[in-house]
Amino acid sequence: MSFEIGIMTFGEIARDPIGGALPSPRQRVRDSIEQAKLADEVGLDVFGVGEHHRSDFVGSAPAILLAAAAQATQNIRLTSSVTVLSSEDPVRVWEQFATTDLLSAGRAEIIAGRGSYAESFPLFGYDLADYSDLFREKLDLLLRIREHNPLTWSGRFRAPLVDADIAPRADGGSIPIWVGVGGSPASAISTGRLGLPMALALLLGPMTFHQETVELYRAAAAEAGHDADALPISINTHGYVGSTSQQARDIMYPSFAQGMMENNHQRGQGFRLPRAAFDAQASASAGLLVGSPQEVIDKLLGYHQLYGLNRAIIQMGFGGMSQQQHLEAIERLGTEVAPVVRREVGSRELVSA
Amino acid sequence: MTLRVVVINGSPHEKSKTLGLVDVILQTLSTILPITVDRIDVYRLGAAFGLATEREEVGAELEAVLQRAEHADLLIAAVPVYRGSYPGLFKHFFDLIDQYALANKLVLLAATGGGDHHALVLEHALRPLFGFFQAMTIPVGIFASAGDFDGTVLLNPRVYGRIEVALTDVADLLRSRATGAMAWAATSADGGRPPES
Repeated sequence: MSFEIGIMTFGEIARDPIGGALPSPRQRVRDSIEQAKLADEVGLDVFGVGEHHRSDFVGSAPAILLAAAAQATQNIRLTSSVTVLSSEDPVRVWEQFATTDLLSAGRAEIIAGRGSYAESFPLFGYDLADYSDLFREKLDLLLRIREHNPLTWSGRFRAPLVDADIAPRADGGSIPIWVGVGGSPASAISTGRLGLPMALALLLGPMTFHQETVELYRAAAAEAGHDADALPISINTHGYVGSTSQQARDIMYPSFAQGMMENNHQRGQGFRLPRAAFDAQASASAGLLVGSPQEVIDKLLGYHQLYGLNRAIIQMGFGGMSQQQHLEAIERLGTEVAPVVRREVGSRELVSA
Repeated sequence: MTLRVVVINGSPHEKSKTLGLVDVILQTLSTILPITVDRIDVYRLGAAFGLATEREEVGAELEAVLQRAEHADLLIAAVPVYRGSYPGLFKHFFDLIDQYALANKLVLLAATGGGDHHALVLEHALRPLFGFFQAMTIPVGIFASAGDFDGTVLLNPRVYGRIEVALTDVADLLRSRATGAMAWAATSADGGRPPES
């Protein structure tokens, strides 16, 4: 199986802490499409947009941004990262992604997630108390829509469907549906049981953070009768490819620390990630994909070996980064990192075959 | 003989991860020996229970509930972690239990929490409480984190394994402590409940 390398964004609307101005939402949607276009040009495999319902992000409607990206790109796969499925209507999700799939000639994908932010639940009238039941039911419906048309279905959280014609169908008949997993054993196990590809999210921690998650996932998949080793796994983590080790850290730290301050609260308040803690997270055995091209190559190969990964999606620019610096990192990832990683993984698989 | 199990449930919720964990413990237990199950939900015992400060004050109904716990072959103490420990009403229940009624009583400790950092609630909060009563707590306690559950259904096989270990350790002891009649030996098929009397 090939190793795919991509990027994702939340479409942050935040001041570049190194000295920029606050970009307008209009600017940021265009920036996001420009990122997708460059990622495509430099040969990256995946472009993802995360769903957040707050005014410091433009990504509340990933399918629309991905549809725009479809028009600006040729080859790159276009995925939500993630679709907060628990607070969505799966019928509408399917319609939007199938449309994007037609626009992009079969490049659309969905990563279905439970959502690490809770804003969308009250916004669409859902109760957080139903967190698990909502996700289970809506994933079930989305998978059925993918397989059957017309569809008859009933559940707890939406009106039943009777011989419903859900259109359009996907370009190639189907759309890859991954499940976003943050690391809880239960989500790894239920994803494995369904035999669905798993997109692991890693915010902070050692590279080995998800070892148990992957073990539980594969064991549950095998037990349910799926070919566990054939199931794709992706890691989604933050990072930045710089010109040198030091430059990468100096560029990424201020925005990442600002992003953590705004999004990762302790005692109900933001806390500033100390530089020393960031540097520790950037070290050789820690999870962040930040550094010189060679450092990022080594880490991606490390991840591949550790988990048998098929895909890595790097989130750059979290917390607000100038578009120029963001684009430079995308270019380095596509031209200096990805070709080496693909070649190395290819020769590894040749040896093991 | 049948093991008469009484669950003291410290969760205030109708459906809970704590009860999801208890379900798995009871299923495993019923594969070792016949059991009957009686559950006391401390949050459903009413206002009079909450206001009682002395055993002598409690009414006949509550007195009967307390005696059910005191006469169990095996107590399962099952709690969610609230503010770093067992919930207040759970402790209040044991404040009304006779000081000597649980001496040498088999007690299985079980708890659920938001994360693994709560796991020592078993050793630092629950076990000392039963230490006071000189109860015989089973050496291996059972803890599960929120992430081990899909809703209220326990999925993590490692926790299943831990339950197996905890109960297998004391399988002989459980059999020797069983005092229930064999006549209506319960199986998991009938939910392990005693017949209507």
